[in-house]
Amino acid sequence: MTLMYFLRRAAFAALALVALMTSAFFLVRLTGDPVDLYLPVDASDAAREAMRVRLGLDRPLLAQFVDWAGDLLRLDFGMSLWHNRPARDVVLEALPNTLALGAIALTLAFLMAIVFGSIAAVQAGGWIDRGVNVLSQAAASVPDFWLGLMGVLLFAVTFRILPTSGFGGPSYWVLPVACLFARPFGTLVQIVRGSMIEALNASFVRTARAKGAQSGRVVFIHALRNALLPAVTVTGDLAAQFAGGGGVVEVVFGFPGIGKLLIDGILKRDFAIVQASIFAVAVVIFVINILVDMLYAAIDPRVRVE
Amino acid sequence: MKRISLGKAARTSLAAFTLAASVALPAYADADKLTVVVTDEPKSLDPCDTDLSGNSRILRNNVTESLVNLSPADGSVTAGLATSWRQIDDLTWEFKLRGGVRFHDGKPFDANAVAAALKRAQDPALACEVGLATLKGVKFTPEVVDRKTVLIRTDIVEPILPNKMAALDIGSPDTPANGKTRTPIGTGPYRLDAWAPGQSIKLTAFDEYWGDRPPIKDATIIWRTESAVRAAMVETGEAQIAYEIAPQDGTSKNDHAFPNAETALLRIDQEVAPLNDKRVREALNLAIDRDGLIGTIFHPQAQKAMQVVLPSVLGYNPDIPVWPYSPEKARALLDTARADGVPVDKEIVLYGRIGIYPNSSESLEAIQAMLTDAGFNVRLEMLETSPWLKKLLKPWDKDRQPSILQTQIDNTEGDAVFTLPNRFTSDGNTSSIADPNLDRLIADASKATGEERKRLFQEAFKYIAVDAVNIVPLFHMVTIARVASDVNYTPDVQAGNEIKLKSIFYR
Repeated sequence: MTLMYFLRRAAFAALALVALMTSAFFLVRLTGDPVDLYLPVDASDAAREAMRVRLGLDRPLLAQFVDWAGDLLRLDFGMSLWHNRPARDVVLEALPNTLALGAIALTLAFLMAIVFGSIAAVQAGGWIDRGVNVLSQAAASVPDFWLGLMGVLLFAVTFRILPTSGFGGPSYWVLPVACLFARPFGTLVQIVRGSMIEALNASFVRTARAKGAQSGRVVFIHALRNALLPAVTVTGDLAAQFAGGGGVVEVVFGFPGIGKLLIDGILKRDFAIVQASIFAVAVVIFVINILVDMLYAAIDPRVRVE
Repeated sequence: MKRISLGKAARTSLAAFTLAASVALPAYADADKLTVVVTDEPKSLDPCDTDLSGNSRILRNNVTESLVNLSPADGSVTAGLATSWRQIDDLTWEFKLRGGVRFHDGKPFDANAVAAALKRAQDPALACEVGLATLKGVKFTPEVVDRKTVLIRTDIVEPILPNKMAALDIGSPDTPANGKTRTPIGTGPYRLDAWAPGQSIKLTAFDEYWGDRPPIKDATIIWRTESAVRAAMVETGEAQIAYEIAPQDGTSKNDHAFPNAETALLRIDQEVAPLNDKRVREALNLAIDRDGLIGTIFHPQAQKAMQVVLPSVLGYNPDIPVWPYSPEKARALLDTARADGVPVDKEIVLYGRIGIYPNSSESLEAIQAMLTDAGFNVRLEMLETSPWLKKLLKPWDKDRQPSILQTQIDNTEGDAVFTLPNRFTSDGNTSSIADPNLDRLIADASKATGEERKRLFQEAFKYIAVDAVNIVPLFHMVTIARVASDVNYTPDVQAGNEIKLKSIFYR
């Protein structure tokens, strides 16, 4: 990967970020006036106006935008109305939790999808294949919300082997990870299976078999390496989705991540939190895309990143 | 090859899993530890922000205390940090303060602390919730007489000044004067131990508390959005008390429904035709089958309402009749109005707020069907809180559609003055009625005392419900709390605003 490539990508990402943040600024302001939400219903018009002045919401939108953009250049996202703290601090506390949650769920999904997808491909048409197919389709289509509540009911309330929710030691991660794991696992199994079947029927695999290579070696070295590329591409997209946090899962489990923060920020018209979260997520997505490209090149030397 | 049966493998796995989990899971509560789960993280823990229930639930009478309290039974004023109070003249009240009280930072509680808290709460630059709501409209000026005596003067007559002081939580004089605090210092039985944003608030019993030491030493308050998860936490022992359980989740013997001081109603925008015709507004009330809604969409213990406050509030009028269900009469009234040229067939919007109470959307869908049956042309529009507030709060568009708005009104302060002026007078910023007779009645009642005050407020409630027909009263609402069976706690009408930690103990 050349420095030139990286700089070009960074420039495009910066342009996209400017467009994204500009639209975020205007769109979030179209959703309503936070003053009504933050002051008691009984507050007088004068008090409402005073708060608008204090927050600068009484000024022309363009003037607000110019100031906001200036602050943004210094990575100053302003104060969170709800948390009464700098939005940057709040977001930086939540982001690592989400990244860890997403990384664990996605890594597990990727690895297990390779195993299940490969086995199904090798046994294509057999009962194992059919079983994996049903399992993966169910996993890909089950709603996070339902899965979360069922997990709580079964593993926390009935068996009492996991906590219902919260944030702490490893046991607190099991259910949120399981919920976030399901959909990518289901999707990736289907992809790995399809591309493995294709690879196993390719001429280079037939040649390898003809030369007497062991079956396991054929599947996991020769075929898999070629079948991985589509899975890596999709995993990259899934990772980008995860960067925004599994909002519903984080809400159900009271997991202090960026998905929950963003949902709360939108509901509470906490402009600073919404904007800071969007910025953080966008930067993470940019980094993930670069990493996926690098991984792509590492897996398949024919792919040149430039 | 050694074979292992599936059953044995499953048992072994389960045993291993349970063993691992027993290490990882939080221990069941000790006798002096308690975890309470609520819906939402507080916005602020500043003592001057306790007009918001999410904040006051944590602070009030736990971390911070006020001069007086209100009885949950009848709203009467009881002693708190003040031991006695009296009205000296129309504009002056005197409070005698409790001795031997210290703040958590070691500072003594005295008249200076009261004066500082009162000034701070009214500082417009701080925009305190208490100053913007409960103390609004009156200037309260404290005067320190001696360490144990404080006078509070007002610029206008304030007959229920002690009720208002019940809303003023008093923080240490060292509370910053130029900004809100996230580390409140009060005189209460608990001091704030830690606030882990997004996770929990921990309170620890204050060793030098002036009153009885509370049985619970460490209390943790956490928040979970999902009702099913909150309910499950009590089942698993992760929490001992969970608030606001949805009716569909609150079916166990540990679920206690309690009146939450809220009254659900529909506010009629009576300035816009056809709702400017009283017959049409009466028809709205007659078209709703309240009995059919109780125990189905609304909790079985909800009470049919005829006014917007509960019997515990001064001014409640027991003689206002509950609207009967009579779709035939409603249709007849609409026909008569139509014959007189009232545009009764015009579309009326029924604005609802998503999640204002459990089954909020379902309740309005049923009401829409009932109104349609009676001959109304009603369109339902469910709104998220922010756009709903735009419909609730003035100013409104002059060319707006005729509408009725789902809302609920709470009153935990024990006096009708906390409900009526803002919602039912011409100047009120959520009022859809502008009637000089009602304005006068509410103004006179607000200035009156004793029986006269009660009588005038009762008249005002009757005027709104029967003479003006500005509202469609629905129900006095209940909330469900799940309480672990080994915990002694009975939520009362104030439980929405106050978790009375010092009265909670294990059986």
